[in-house]
Amino acid sequence: MPSYTLTINNEKKVISANPDTPLLWVLRDILDLTGTKFSCGIGSCGACTVHYKGNPVRSCTLTVATALEGNITTIEGLSADGTQPIQQAWKDLDVSQCGYCQSGQIMAATALLSKNPKPTENDINTAMAGIICRCGTYTRIRKAIQLAASKSEE
Amino acid sequence: MKSTLDRRTFIKLTASASGALVAGVCFQSCTTDKLPATVYGFSPLIKIDTDGWTTLIAKNPEIGQGIKTALPIILAEELGADWEKTKVVQGDYDEIYEEQWAGGSYAIILNWDLMRTAGAKVRQVLIEAAAKKMNHPANELSTRNSRVIHIKSGDSLPFEELITEASKIPLPETVEFKPIDSFEIVGKNIPQVDLDQDVRGTTKYSIDVKLPEMVYATVLKNPVFDGGVSSWDDSITRTVDGVLDIFELDNKAYGGRLIGPNSPNFVNGIAVIANSTWAAFKGAEKLNVVWDNAGSRMESTEGIFERFHSQLTSTSIERKDGNVVTAKRKAASIFEAVYELPFLAHLTMEPMNCTVDFRADLCEVWAPTQNPKALQEGLIKLFGLKPEQIKIHLPRIGGAFGRRYYVDYAMDAAVLSKKMGKPVKLTWTREEDIKHDWYRPASVHKMTASLNAAGMVTGWQHILANASRKTSLGREGNPAGTEIDSYEFPGGFVPNLQFEYGHVLSDVPLGQWRAVGHSATAFAVHSFLDELAILNNTDPIDYFLKFLGPARMVPVVDDYEFDLKRLITVIEKVRQISNWETRLHEGQGRGFAASKHSGSYIAEVVTVHMDKNDKVRILRVDAVVDCGIVINRSGAEAQVVGGILEGLCAALYGEITIADGATVQSNFHDYRWMQLDEVPDIHIEFVKNDLPPRGLGEPPLPPAAPALANAIFAATGQRIRKLPIIKQL
Ligand code: FES
Ligand code: FES
Repeated sequence: MPSYTLTINNEKKVISANPDTPLLWVLRDILDLTGTKFSCGIGSCGACTVHYKGNPVRSCTLTVATALEGNITTIEGLSADGTQPIQQAWKDLDVSQCGYCQSGQIMAATALLSKNPKPTENDINTAMAGIICRCGTYTRIRKAIQLAASKSEE
Repeated sequence: MKSTLDRRTFIKLTASASGALVAGVCFQSCTTDKLPATVYGFSPLIKIDTDGWTTLIAKNPEIGQGIKTALPIILAEELGADWEKTKVVQGDYDEIYEEQWAGGSYAIILNWDLMRTAGAKVRQVLIEAAAKKMNHPANELSTRNSRVIHIKSGDSLPFEELITEASKIPLPETVEFKPIDSFEIVGKNIPQVDLDQDVRGTTKYSIDVKLPEMVYATVLKNPVFDGGVSSWDDSITRTVDGVLDIFELDNKAYGGRLIGPNSPNFVNGIAVIANSTWAAFKGAEKLNVVWDNAGSRMESTEGIFERFHSQLTSTSIERKDGNVVTAKRKAASIFEAVYELPFLAHLTMEPMNCTVDFRADLCEVWAPTQNPKALQEGLIKLFGLKPEQIKIHLPRIGGAFGRRYYVDYAMDAAVLSKKMGKPVKLTWTREEDIKHDWYRPASVHKMTASLNAAGMVTGWQHILANASRKTSLGREGNPAGTEIDSYEFPGGFVPNLQFEYGHVLSDVPLGQWRAVGHSATAFAVHSFLDELAILNNTDPIDYFLKFLGPARMVPVVDDYEFDLKRLITVIEKVRQISNWETRLHEGQGRGFAASKHSGSYIAEVVTVHMDKNDKVRILRVDAVVDCGIVINRSGAEAQVVGGILEGLCAALYGEITIADGATVQSNFHDYRWMQLDEVPDIHIEFVKNDLPPRGLGEPPLPPAAPALANAIFAATGQRIRKLPIIKQL
């Protein structure tokens, strides 16, 4: 098995895995970063969303061999204490239900705000498209993104 | 307040080694000397520590319904604990807790009195202890913010200073509940107790469990329902890096298809064990299996629905009031309509998985289950274990919606861990999860109304034909179940009324789905009532109110009645907040439906816009809910929004189709789910009253589909009699 050096949450990690192993399973099974979730495995639900080079990507469809060039941020690396503005807004509005989709939602939302601090309704729809919440927390997700955006303006 | 449950309750109180006061609780079926050993020496509910923190045990499985927050709120309220100095810890499965399951929106209904009693009795003991120390009479003392207080003098003592004294006091025989109007925590917006860890990604689901020596597994099941394995070739699988072993899973070797009267065993197939989940997935993909489908009916959706339709004329009577035949003869007119609903999948966000460490002395399980008791029973049946050899942990669960009422996937994992002699984490792929679900039954409903000259209903006949949950896969020996219960609406409201059931046997695995039977019947009943209103040229809300008649108690069946005052109140209120009377733009329409479920009354109005391509856009949903006392305002609202969205989404897109005896759909790309941009504005109001709290997980769902279909009719004149809607437009 080849070994790879990944940059995860700004730390270098050396791991051994087959080249076709999706980043998702490297994070979960090898590095114990289980905040990134498996749900569909084919890129159609968003539960496994992480940032790669600052962009939101589905870690179930990104193989480890193609994720070597930049920093990978997972939910665990967003903040030390859960107070990143999106995380804070999520807490202010009690967004989570079963919680299982939430790290994917939060990773997509933080990627959006980092590029576009004042997203329109449409920008939010586009950025969050395909990230499924089976419990139906969408109304609070939208409000939380707007809340975090409005706070960053202050 | 009158107790809804007649249950003997007593509590053991002790000062633990760390000096904390721990109150365990034991309901009806045990005695204190039989209390099993757990973290605190016995199954606890309340622990008051010397540092002033209170730990409350959440005993029921948390599936996203907020029960891990709601039950401790009730405990804290009666105790008088400071919520900000309260920790909540999930309890393991333990018979002593009783009613430790999630389903039917029952957790609050069944635990309200139990939680109040436990909290109140510990408060009574703390007050008695304080009375001695403070020299004030007990009846002048109360608790607040984790202190016993004497309001007149302003004296107070924190709970932690009363531990030693309190632990010597026997628990009171009689319980004194707090007056409801003095509640300080119940009814507030309390964030979910795990919210901080949810947003940090540190919440542990069973899919996240990692144990020393643990290996990973997945399964490939025969896609044809109830099929078996004929032969298989695993030569390529064995070459996959990381694959450790391959086993056949044959339920015949483990007691057959059932592990309890209503509890199916695991489904036949092949399991791949590996040193990582990914290697197991890859290995399973490379299996070459010849399936044994000799026993299969090899059904298709079309064939199944044909059989449903022909069964409409061969039925059993499930309820008969008056005489529908005479009513038809005397009717000024008769109106008939037939409605069809598809099979639905659950698609919990966290796929089926389970971790089991099957050791010689103890079988330890981490399971995403709504029904730990069924899991325990299954392990007893499959392996001859004794209850004390089984430990079931209840981690957080990534959605359930009825799927996890069944424990087939946990049986898989237990068999594999026993075979490997190691802890095994089994993870199903999403494809397996969809293809081996226990689906919401599809159904056909033939509705017939006899109408008088004024267009009002004098006779009502509802014939439902389908394959029943109660006799599906492996349960064909059960008495022919019915999917139309005698308490179905409008039983009790129409003098001549008949419910009939046409029973069809099918291989399709069927089970509970959010709101169970009502998820289907409500669509037929409330679409039909809307059709009758339109036929009568009457506003649908006016027609429904006239159909219900004046506010009164309506007995439906023994022990079940409608309080029409409550139903009418939510209807009038939703009419007002939805601006029902105001005009809409061209291409827009409003639809209404209202029902009672799990003791709660709910009325909904859906507003839609149809664009030129007949694409439906849901603009707004208004809902008014009377669920009695609201325990947690924030959690309650989340349940109502979630239930409505699930109802709308299933009505629009939800459909499992069957071909060649197997499910066609395989993942989120072909089982569509609602996305953020489709979500309407949702306005929710709760009726404020002091009545005992009732269910909320399911009640919001049933009215959503008919309200949506009725709105589409109002917008376009097109009547939707068959779901999913997307296929009809
Ligand atoms: S698990 Fe990666 S998109 Fe669904
Ligand atoms: S919170 Fe359960 S899937 Fe989103």
